[in-house]
Amino acid sequence: MAGNPSNSPLYVYGVVPSKGTTGPAGAGIDDRPVQLVAHGEVAALTSSVADDFLEAGRQELLTHSRVLEEAMDRSAVLPMRFGVVMPDEQTIRDRLLDPYAEELEGQLREVEGKVEVSIRGIYDEATILREALAENRELAELRDSIQGKPEAATYYERIRLGEMVAQTLDDKRAAAGPEVIERLSAHAVDVRVGEPVHERMAVNGSFLVERKRLGEFDRAVEEIGAEQAGRIRIKYTGPLPPHSFVQLGVGA
Amino acid sequence: MATGMQQPYRGGSGYVARSSSSGLYDVLELILDKGLVIDVFVRVSLIGIEILTIDARIVIASVDTYLRFAEAVNRLDLMSTETQGLPELMEGITEGGASKKTKGIVQGAKEALFGDEDEEEEGEEEKEPATTRRRSTSTTAKRRQAASGSSSGSSRRRKKSS
Repeated sequence: MAGNPSNSPLYVYGVVPSKGTTGPAGAGIDDRPVQLVAHGEVAALTSSVADDFLEAGRQELLTHSRVLEEAMDRSAVLPMRFGVVMPDEQTIRDRLLDPYAEELEGQLREVEGKVEVSIRGIYDEATILREALAENRELAELRDSIQGKPEAATYYERIRLGEMVAQTLDDKRAAAGPEVIERLSAHAVDVRVGEPVHERMAVNGSFLVERKRLGEFDRAVEEIGAEQAGRIRIKYTGPLPPHSFVQLGVGA
Repeated sequence: MATGMQQPYRGGSGYVARSSSSGLYDVLELILDKGLVIDVFVRVSLIGIEILTIDARIVIASVDTYLRFAEAVNRLDLMSTETQGLPELMEGITEGGASKKTKGIVQGAKEALFGDEDEEEEGEEEKEPATTRRRSTSTTAKRRQAASGSSSGSSRRRKKSS
């Protein structure tokens, strides 16, 4: 807990347990020191904000992420959403730490010893298109009928063709996505399934994994990666603080 | 623990691309709209971030996407080793109207926020027309200017959300 009560606005990175947490290390946004604002069992990770103005761009988002990752190495941490600034220490206690104390303590216990891993699968375009052509006669015929003709003359046919490809991708995604999620869920405590971020995304899931089972989870990912080699490229991001698994109040 | 795993990891098979460094585009994009939030909180004004969070919902079912897929299918026989996306095909396709424009704005915001890191996406993001690039470049420039303290008159002031 920092000694000097701050009346300046504070950027809030996240919430950690106030006990057993060694003081924050490293600098926060604008190179300002990260300090704890403690209240009972929970404490906010903060740093002061100059005046009433904070430009929140790429650099600040990087710092937000780094501060939370550093905190994750020392204790359980509940990440705040990027961009939260509160007027002063007292407001942090009155509006965050005190009214939500029980929830925060409960969630800190839940994420203790666990990390988030994001798994995204991206279809290899050429492979998946070849599959689609081989599996869908109608698609192949339409493609053959368009090929060699001028673009202007086949505008609507090409849209139709692309639409069929998109539909095929949707179908494949509907089959592959849940299977990957289910297999990896077996090695995780919790999972959040996300929407595909672009049209070639086969699967997008965030998993809450116990640190001690991380090796086991990783092997399951490797296995899927090997099975899908050349077809779905798996992107593994983590371990991260549990950004996707924290929530305050109902529907917060 | 995280810091100990920040070096690029190659699993036994090498089939999985792994990253854990918080500097990576993937991480930033992942955490952008996640985490605790209470509506009484003051949130700072974010460059394009509110727009960026709707990124997932755009252009997945658009004429642009269909035309791009159609081109890709038509070119399939001509491609022997090229297996990545076909960004060059986007050039010359100017149809698409509103959806195209929306995408341009979102991509512009994304580039301003994530800068060169986008290139790690290996062609997952299509190249945007020059107009978008110019726009995002100027946004980035403005941000840098502001960050260095020379632009207190910037319009991107902190907003109170209520």
